Amino acid sequence: MTVRAASALLLVSGLSACSGPQSVLDPAGRDAQVLASLFWVMFTGAVILWLAMNGIFLTVTRFIKREMSERKAETLIIGGGIVFPTVVLAGLLTYALAEMPRQRERGEGLTVRVVGESWWWRVEYLPDGSSEPVVSANEIRLPAGSRSEIELAANGVIHAFWIPALGGKTDMIPGRTTRMSLEPVTPGTYRGQCTEFCGESHAMMAFGAVVMEPESFDAWLRKEAAPADPPESPEAIRGREVFVTEGCGACHTIRGTQAQGRVGPDLTHLGGRTTLAAGILPMETDELVRWIRDPESIKPGARMPGYDHLDDARLRALATYLEGLT
Amino acid sequence: MKLLEYLAGPVHLRTVLRILAVLVIVGALGAVVVVGLGLYNVSAKAGHFPGVSWVLHTTFRNSVQLRADGSPPDNLSDMDMIALGAGHFDSACLMCHAAPGESRSATVRAMVPEPPPITEAAREWKPQELHWIVHKGVKMTGMPHWPATREDDVWPVVAFLLAAKGMSAEEFARLTERPDGKYCAMCHGTDGVSDNDHIPRLDILSEEYITDSLRAYRAGTRDSGIMAQAVGHLPEGAGPEVAAAFAETRPRGEPGRRGPQEERGRTLAAAEGPLDVPACRACHGPWPEPLNPAFPSLAGQYAPYLEQQLTLWRKGNRGGGQAAELMHHAARDLEDAEIEALAAYYSALAPAKLNEASDTAD
Repeated sequence: MTVRAASALLLVSGLSACSGPQSVLDPAGRDAQVLASLFWVMFTGAVILWLAMNGIFLTVTRFIKREMSERKAETLIIGGGIVFPTVVLAGLLTYALAEMPRQRERGEGLTVRVVGESWWWRVEYLPDGSSEPVVSANEIRLPAGSRSEIELAANGVIHAFWIPALGGKTDMIPGRTTRMSLEPVTPGTYRGQCTEFCGESHAMMAFGAVVMEPESFDAWLRKEAAPADPPESPEAIRGREVFVTEGCGACHTIRGTQAQGRVGPDLTHLGGRTTLAAGILPMETDELVRWIRDPESIKPGARMPGYDHLDDARLRALATYLEGLT
Repeated sequence: MKLLEYLAGPVHLRTVLRILAVLVIVGALGAVVVVGLGLYNVSAKAGHFPGVSWVLHTTFRNSVQLRADGSPPDNLSDMDMIALGAGHFDSACLMCHAAPGESRSATVRAMVPEPPPITEAAREWKPQELHWIVHKGVKMTGMPHWPATREDDVWPVVAFLLAAKGMSAEEFARLTERPDGKYCAMCHGTDGVSDNDHIPRLDILSEEYITDSLRAYRAGTRDSGIMAQAVGHLPEGAGPEVAAAFAETRPRGEPGRRGPQEERGRTLAAAEGPLDVPACRACHGPWPEPLNPAFPSLAGQYAPYLEQQLTLWRKGNRGGGQAAELMHHAARDLEDAEIEALAAYYSALAPAKLNEASDTAD
C-alpha cells in the first residue's frame, strides 16, 4: 500500500467516527451539543496554539538570525510562557466549568432507572407521579424536547452508561445510585455502550437509544406498560408452549403470563425493541434462534444457558413467539 | 598394586564420570535383559523378595497419611448414611473384602497382597484416610479408585466402614436385603420410595427423567460413583423398562410442616427473592401450566438429597442429561442458606409428579 493510500484510509476511518448513531460529533441532544461545541472550541484553540508555537519556533530559528536583547527575551518568555498560557487556560477552564452544572441539571417529568447487569441493561420507566415502574430492558427510549432524569445502578460489577449522541457518560457502581440527566432534541435511533470495562463481554454490552416525539413516546410508554398480547398464529402459539414447558419463565418475565422471572431481561415487548442481546444483534427470527441455541458463542460468559438440546422446529417456534411480542 | 596406587592417587573428574557412565550402561543393559527376556518372576505364588512387602506396605501407609486431608461430615454415624454405604459395599467391594462376619473366598485370599477382611481393613484408619483410600484407590494392590470425580458420595461408604467394625452378619444382611430379589429396590424400595434421606425417592419422577438419568450414569455424564456401579447391574437397554416401572407408581405422602425456613424457600422458588435466583418452580413445579416431563419433580423429595444435589450443581460438576447446562447456570449463585431453604421447601410439599404438584400455601 502506498503512503498516500494509507493516509487516505486513515483519514476516512477517522472521519467515519464523526457521524452515525454513536458519535459525540453528531449530537442529537442538548448535552451532547454542549460537549460537541466544547470539543470544537478546544480543538480549534489547540490547532491555533500549535500553529503559533511552531510559527514562533520557525521564526526564531530560521528568520531572525541576530541576537535578541535580554529585555526583549525576558518579555517574550514571561509573556508567552507564563502570562499567555495562564490567561488562555483560565479562560478555557472557566468556559468548561460553566458547562458542568448544565450537565448535572435535574430532570423533569420522566425518570429512567437503569441497572447495569452482566452484560445487559435492566431498564425501568417512572413517568412523573407514578410509583409502579414500567419494566423493560436493553433499550432506552426518551421523549425529545424535555430533560429526563436517569438513575443509574449496577449489579455485581462496575459499568458506565453512555449515549454519545445524547450526552456525557456516568459510572454505574454496585451499592450506589448515581445520576445524570439527558435532554434529547432530534428524534431518531442512536446507540449506547457500556464504557467501563466490566468483564469478558464488556464489548458486547450496548443498547439502542430511541428519541421520540413526546406524543409518540407517551403512546409507546402506554403500550410498553401493557401486558403482552397473546400469540395468534399457530407457530407463535406453539412457541408460547415451548416457552412455558422449557421453563423460560424461571429467568424472564412476560407480563400477562405466569412467567415472572427476574434474573434475565423482561421480554414482555421484546419484539418491539430495535436490537437483540443488548444492542449486538438485529431483531430477527434467525438471530433469535441463534441466540437461544448458543448464547455463549455470541456473548461469552452470559448467564443465559444454551438450549441446543431443543430441535430446530421448536427453537423457530419460540423465536416466532418472542419476535411477535411487540 | 598398580590399581591400589591408582585408587589412592588424585581423583580426576573425568575418571569419575567414565565410571558412572559405564555403570549406567551396564544397569540399562541389565534392565533390558530382565524386562525383555522376562527374567523377573511375576507369579503371585512366588510372592515378594524378603523385605519388599514391608517396604511397599509402609510406603502405602505413609503415603495415605500424608495425603488424606478431607474433613469428615458430622453425619457418619447416621443410620441412613451407613445403609447407603452398605448397599454400595454389597455391590462393589464385597467380592474382595467380604461382608462383616463372613470369610473371604479362597481365591481372594490367594491375592498378593491379600485384601483385608472389611472389619480389619477399617480398624486402623481415620475416616479421612478411609475416604482417601476409597476415592483414590491404591496402585499395585488391586484396590480400584472411585469410578467418579466427585468426592462427597464416598462418605456413605466411609460411614459403613466405620460401622462395619462391630457389625454382625445378620445386620449386614438386613441392610442389603433385596425386596423381591430386585437390585434397585435394595436402596430405592419396590415403589421407588427409599425411606432413606440420602437416597432420592423415584416415585415422583417421570419415565423420561429416570431414563435420561440412567443413560447419563451409564455414559458417565452424571458424576456418581455409587450409581455408576449400580447401573452396571442393569442389562444394556433395560433402562426404559425400569424407568417405566418406577414412573408408574403413584406418589403417596402428606405435606410436611411449614416454618419460616420453608416459607423462605417458597419465596426463592417463586423468584420473589433476590434477583440472581431463577424461579425453580418454572421448571420443577408446582406450576399452573404443563411443564416438560424431562424436568424432575422435586415435590416431597428428601431434603438432604436436594441439598447435596444443589451443592453439586453450584460447584458445576453434577452433570446429567442434555439440559444439565441449565441447572449449572441456575444454581451458580446460590448461597448455603438458600440451598437449605429450597431443600426444606420442596421436601415439605406433598410428594407428587411434576405436573400434579401443588402448594397448599399458594
